[in-house]
Amino acid sequence: MVSDAPVIAPSSPLPVGDARRLGQIEQHDTLAARNSRLAVGDLLTVRVRRFDGTAELQEFQVPYRKWMRVLDALNWIADNAASDLAYRWFCGSKMCGTCAVRMNGREVLACWEAVEPEMTLEPLRNLPVVRDLLVDRAPFERKVAELEPWLERRAPYPSFPEPLSHKDMKDASKALDCIGCMCCYSACPVIGLGDLTDFAGPAPLVQLGQTALDPRNHDVKIAHSLARTGIFHCVSCYKCEEVCPAAIPIVSQVIEPLKAKAAALLPKMAKHPRALRAVVALRGRVDPSALVLRVQGWRVLGNLPRALRLLVRGKIDPIKTLLRRKTSAAAAAARLLEGKGRR
Amino acid sequence: MQVLNTDVAIVGGGAAGCYAALNLHRAGHKAVIVCKGLVGKSGASIFAGNLVLSGRALGNSEEQARNTAEFLIKYHNQFLIDQRWARRCGQWIENVYYPELEEAGLYLRRDEQGHVVTSPGKIRSVAANVQGNSGVPFMDLRRKQVIKAQIPRLEETAVTALLRKPDGSVGGVFGLDVISGEYVVLLARAVILATGYSDRLHARSTGTREMSGDGIAMAWRVGAAMANLEMQWWHTNDIADPPAWQRMQVYPNPMLGSDKSARMVNSAGEEFFNQQQDDPLAYGPYTVQLKALARQVHAGKARYDGGYFAGFDHCDPREVDAYTTYGKSYRQLGLRFPEELVEAAVTAHYRQGGIDVDPETMRSSVPGLYVAGGLGGHSNGLIGLATYDGKVVADGVAADLARLPPCDLPEAEIERERRRLEELRVSRADGIAPAQVKERVRAMMWEKVGVEKSAASLTSALDDIAEIRLTLLPRLSVKRTARGTNYEWLDAIDVINMVDACELIIQSSLERKESRGPFMRRDFPLQDNARWLVANVMQRTENGFRFEQRPYELPFFQPGFVTRDNLEVAW
Repeated sequence: MVSDAPVIAPSSPLPVGDARRLGQIEQHDTLAARNSRLAVGDLLTVRVRRFDGTAELQEFQVPYRKWMRVLDALNWIADNAASDLAYRWFCGSKMCGTCAVRMNGREVLACWEAVEPEMTLEPLRNLPVVRDLLVDRAPFERKVAELEPWLERRAPYPSFPEPLSHKDMKDASKALDCIGCMCCYSACPVIGLGDLTDFAGPAPLVQLGQTALDPRNHDVKIAHSLARTGIFHCVSCYKCEEVCPAAIPIVSQVIEPLKAKAAALLPKMAKHPRALRAVVALRGRVDPSALVLRVQGWRVLGNLPRALRLLVRGKIDPIKTLLRRKTSAAAAAARLLEGKGRR
Repeated sequence: MQVLNTDVAIVGGGAAGCYAALNLHRAGHKAVIVCKGLVGKSGASIFAGNLVLSGRALGNSEEQARNTAEFLIKYHNQFLIDQRWARRCGQWIENVYYPELEEAGLYLRRDEQGHVVTSPGKIRSVAANVQGNSGVPFMDLRRKQVIKAQIPRLEETAVTALLRKPDGSVGGVFGLDVISGEYVVLLARAVILATGYSDRLHARSTGTREMSGDGIAMAWRVGAAMANLEMQWWHTNDIADPPAWQRMQVYPNPMLGSDKSARMVNSAGEEFFNQQQDDPLAYGPYTVQLKALARQVHAGKARYDGGYFAGFDHCDPREVDAYTTYGKSYRQLGLRFPEELVEAAVTAHYRQGGIDVDPETMRSSVPGLYVAGGLGGHSNGLIGLATYDGKVVADGVAADLARLPPCDLPEAEIERERRRLEELRVSRADGIAPAQVKERVRAMMWEKVGVEKSAASLTSALDDIAEIRLTLLPRLSVKRTARGTNYEWLDAIDVINMVDACELIIQSSLERKESRGPFMRRDFPLQDNARWLVANVMQRTENGFRFEQRPYELPFFQPGFVTRDNLEVAW
């Protein structure tokens, strides 16, 4: 298929299998493209959500300078137009993780992301706004501390250097790239549900993953931490992975391995996902009535009116479930789920 | 106003402050960390790109062990260091630091077979997880250790003054919680200043946003002596643009798992620095690099603020990407990596000098006031050295605590500081924004107290300081006068510290009449070991200050010449 749109070659072969980069090339959305859209001296239209008790959008015209980042634009505004603008940053170079904001509805690290010709800057979601773009990090910090993300060794420390290989540390090492910027925490739809779930959120899970995916850590300690994560509320929507400025494969290399650990160490916590997996392995598809039976057991009798409603709407089909016809999909699912390719 | 009591108040949440707090806690003393940013997330320590091995650690040969010591004393401190402290520090790094960090969980990068990956050469480095980013997991670990030990933290709280007991000794700090705008008084039997090297005083500097020379300015106000304040280190290849990235370095150190490192090219496209040729043994590339650049500047083929380029175009990208983060900035700018180079510029990095301390105990010249890490005037930065300071200061304070009485509320001092700060939170019709004055100070420091300076430029800088004091500081004005999250107010507090710290630095620079390592005087180009192999100590007096010279002992390493053109000296 030939497209008329200008093809912008990526600067180097892009890593594949990484949600963050999927679709970038197709949409001509590479950094090379974003950086070449503006010329020095062009005026950017920057709308900043100001909040000091009441919220309003304030518009600024900011002259573009070479390789301008969102933070450079904010600094320009503070130096030239609104000296009272509240926003947090310390290092300006993707290390401290304190300058994250939402730009045109997407979480970005202000020091790292190229400006856009028109951009609306808002504070992160899912955290209380103190003023303007400044959010209160305390809820996140509290959650991290509650998870006790530190090492309790399964065996006494031998001596330096201890036996350990990068293979053992592959997932933990990815989590160690986390700078605690909370882009993922803001983007997470489950966190957005507020107190409806006890889900700790992607950022606290990544912080936990740094030690919980470390083979030196004790299973009892890991289980103790995982029990407080509500990890199975994660819907694997990959929003976190998409916005992570450190390009951490949050779902595939942190949350999924943590879920596997939770399923192994805390089987009760994983009742629903284990049942789902067993059903899919058996039938090659999601069978709601089998799932409900496995998860609820005899308690399902207390929910008869609901079961009837589901039956009437065609959501469950007990007859089909009972007949259990084996399909080729079931064989494939069993091979995939129980064979190789799973950790 | 909140009033808190503790045994030890620690100002600063970086490598030195955290380690001091953890050691004091372990010894059963109550410590509180007050941090202008966030503990382990702001300040200099997160910039530690790689970790230098010391002594015989990790199979270092005798020669490599000796080289590390030589590197520290000669290339890193140009002999302005207590060599016995350096030896103790090296032994501690070898025997305690690495095992303790690893036991706590720090992941020192391994290969698939399980070998710790090092850079090759006469001085070897390792990395925490990935080279270029080691400081982040390192400090994250410290932050969690502090949380686990339940050591109280006052974060985003700027200490604005040291409080004194009636006998003149230091017994607490006065601070401003930047978020709530409330004042806090922390009374203690001893205070440890660990605010890092005093950066963000130059137009280009590696220090984080909140760093403004507070430690130097506050210590000087209570009468502490300073040492070698003029000894400023520079990064030679930090990224020129965008401005927020001025503290991102194109590392000249050899890469982990490779003998290669960044090369530098002048405006005519000629290579002028390549570690493999110019500094093959990885001896302190920083000064070597800076001197190479100075020659290019003299030849008109580069400027200190740009016009030259750095990169890895002679490397295989897989080699760079294996263990380092070095490609990330190129890719984020949309440059082809590693084929394209990035424009580089000089950036003020850490200051070797600082508050004068006794390196056996980290006592300053003022009773009750101790110093640790980059702020101390006894050695250059490096996260291992700063951490060792944290241990030494904890031991020093613990030994003295019995003799240091608790501090009664110094009401008059508190009232004076409160009034001083309130007067900075005003809006004036003819006022000037504090951030503008900061920029003015930084521009002046860059122009007149930059890489190369002279009596003329320094005297002119002093005139500028006097003018800023006379015409700008009295007109500081904030747009919004509410107390909470008032960063303009913080800027006003900062800029007064900056002006004070800059004046001390300029005076010290005038006093040292030689060139040494990264300290370059156009009017005194010779390194003069006969007269200046001394600590340049600045003492506060009744009516100003005076300088004293304190010679260094040279038990293990000696320069081997009396005078020589500094640009001709390797280090």
